[in-house]
Amino acid sequence: MLALVAPSIVFLALFFVAPLGFFLFRSVDNSEVPGWLPRTVVALAQWNGVGLPEDAAYRALAEDLAALSGSTALPLLGRRLNHNVPGFRGLITGTGNRVDLRQAGSMREQLVSLDPRWGESTYWQTIRRERHALTPFYLLTALDLRHGAGGELERVPGDSAIFLGLLGRTLTISVVVTLLCVLLGFPVAATMAGSSPARANALLILVLIPFWTSLLVRSTAWVILLQNQGVVNQALVGLGLIDRPVPLIFNRLGLYIAMVHVLLPFMVLPLYSVLKGIPPELMRAASSLGAPPWTAFRLVYVPQALPGLVAGASLVFVLALGYYVTPALVGGPGDQMIGYFIAYFTNTAVNWGMASALGTILLVVVSLIYLALGRVVGLDRLAVR
Amino acid sequence: MLKTPRFWIALAATLTVLGGVALPDADAQTKFTVGNAGGSSADAERKVFYGPFANANKIQIQEESFNQELAKIRSQVETGNLIWDIVTTTAINVATGCEEGLLEKVDWSKYLDPRLFREVGGVSECGVPYLFVSGGLAYDGNRIKEGPKTWADFWNVTRWPGKRGLLYRAEQTFEVALMADGVPPAKAMEVLSAPGGVERALKKLDELKPHIHWWKNGAESITLLASGEVAMSYAWNGRVASANKTNNLNLKMELGAGHVSGCQYWAIMKGSKNKDLAIKFIQYAVAAQSQADFVRVISYGPANRDAYGLLTDAEKATLPGQHMDKASLQLGKLYLGFWLANGDSLLQRFVKFAAQ
Repeated sequence: MLALVAPSIVFLALFFVAPLGFFLFRSVDNSEVPGWLPRTVVALAQWNGVGLPEDAAYRALAEDLAALSGSTALPLLGRRLNHNVPGFRGLITGTGNRVDLRQAGSMREQLVSLDPRWGESTYWQTIRRERHALTPFYLLTALDLRHGAGGELERVPGDSAIFLGLLGRTLTISVVVTLLCVLLGFPVAATMAGSSPARANALLILVLIPFWTSLLVRSTAWVILLQNQGVVNQALVGLGLIDRPVPLIFNRLGLYIAMVHVLLPFMVLPLYSVLKGIPPELMRAASSLGAPPWTAFRLVYVPQALPGLVAGASLVFVLALGYYVTPALVGGPGDQMIGYFIAYFTNTAVNWGMASALGTILLVVVSLIYLALGRVVGLDRLAVR
Repeated sequence: MLKTPRFWIALAATLTVLGGVALPDADAQTKFTVGNAGGSSADAERKVFYGPFANANKIQIQEESFNQELAKIRSQVETGNLIWDIVTTTAINVATGCEEGLLEKVDWSKYLDPRLFREVGGVSECGVPYLFVSGGLAYDGNRIKEGPKTWADFWNVTRWPGKRGLLYRAEQTFEVALMADGVPPAKAMEVLSAPGGVERALKKLDELKPHIHWWKNGAESITLLASGEVAMSYAWNGRVASANKTNNLNLKMELGAGHVSGCQYWAIMKGSKNKDLAIKFIQYAVAAQSQADFVRVISYGPANRDAYGLLTDAEKATLPGQHMDKASLQLGKLYLGFWLANGDSLLQRFVKFAAQ
């Protein structure tokens, strides 16, 4: 038995558990700052964070930066601190490449004359706050929170707050897509379940062919269909129904259309497998006992369909939460979901801390939703029989 | 249980499968890979640089395109997993990559005459310029008869209805926004780097925001214009010229409105196993003859001034030389210093702005 599962366990550990753990850790990892500024973090630990630190801290920073001078660690350290305070990169590289340890006189004066920003407490407070090997910075930023001047937690100002709104948008889009999938998928699955095996198979093929088609192809196909000069708009203009093309894509509408299309099979398939198992006699029995069709549907059919409905809906919802490719192709900038920003921080900004923090938050939200769903419906019913 | 042969066979099978992924390619030596900007500019490079050089040296040149994200270079070098040998990239990426040790430093004076490149900002130890590109206001001459003349016209959606295509980057787009706000092109960088400059650019972009269609790579800008999805767009001159030539389009560029111009550079990835070959390739690609051939295909300006001597007057006329007084140049201390220090944070601010 163990021999048979060993490959999958090894595979899971190597390619799932380990990377996941590694990425979760990246959301709090801060080894760069204490690693590259060993003397400075010791000196700043003595300081209470008010005003400017002692001369010893200036000397320690100058020694740390001089040690990094000319190496690639200097810009990398700058890049790390730039995440906290924009402009920190230039401050670090500019100072590190010019600081002279042998020059007589106070190191405080030398640093401030190299760059007056060393006379501002913000930069010192940032280094002091980031002196530990772990940092809450990325997770706080992902929740639109930050440390104020006095070290207390505060909300970031409205124009730079983005991530809570983004999380809200991601949840809204996912809920709407799930509801649309339920509304569209239920009749399809019910029809399939009620058909003869031959017809049910034909219908199943119609569901499966798009399911097997690449996500990229399906999303791009919608661009071709729905764009201003696309088939749909041209037809509507040709029929005289509209004067000029209506925007159907690169907005929320286009995103809903494409996402529902892509995710619908995930609703239909589990639902169909459950609906198929409901004996048709039960509905007939209900009507023979005098229940009107709607009542019979509500009291007899739906409760039995519930496991399939919940399984399909949670599958669609969780998949929708992580969507990235489809919104990037058919949505506008205001329709991008959290996956877009995870990709942005990974691929463009190379801020793995932020990417991991957003991923961590998404993981926590999904887990909470699952637990809540489990409480309401019962976790055992989430499994498709 | 653990000692059963079946367990070990299963484990061995797993490891073999996993190990197979990491086995090195047998003919990795002969492959030479370029990371470029894709689309018609990559087509032109293939025709003029990659093809002839590969034939002459009996090697195989592979290509991969990217949207100038420095991250694509960073991740390859930092993980030690190099895919590219050389890369075509922007001045800021060359400067940042050089500082962070992502690109090979080469004493180019040993291999070419740096004086030939002085007019376009010169050769740096990590990059050699090979084309001069102008980004400006473009529209479809078949759809718009009376075209826009200024960037303020570009912002005027009442007179010219329709979407506007803009580059999804802070750099270039901020300069354009300031031009639309009345800043003379040559002063755009000065205003942008002064206090309040970024806010002014963002405010101007905010006015047009509901009408903006952001594009990420040059090929997209041409598709948007050609399909009529946008009425006007920011676009790079070579791509516009080659779209007109190969797809029989009538796209117009109004460089008199002001434009953002600078060079694209060859750079060698740090740790490339083919460094010598890469140097040889760059020597070939920036030689006057290759540079002149390149102009004939895509109408980007040559970086090597000797190339002008090989061009006819008609060929020179295809280059956007007559509006150089209307340029915000992607060269010089102010430009490089500003974007080097603020590029990361401004890109982040820009992305947030676009998503709100």
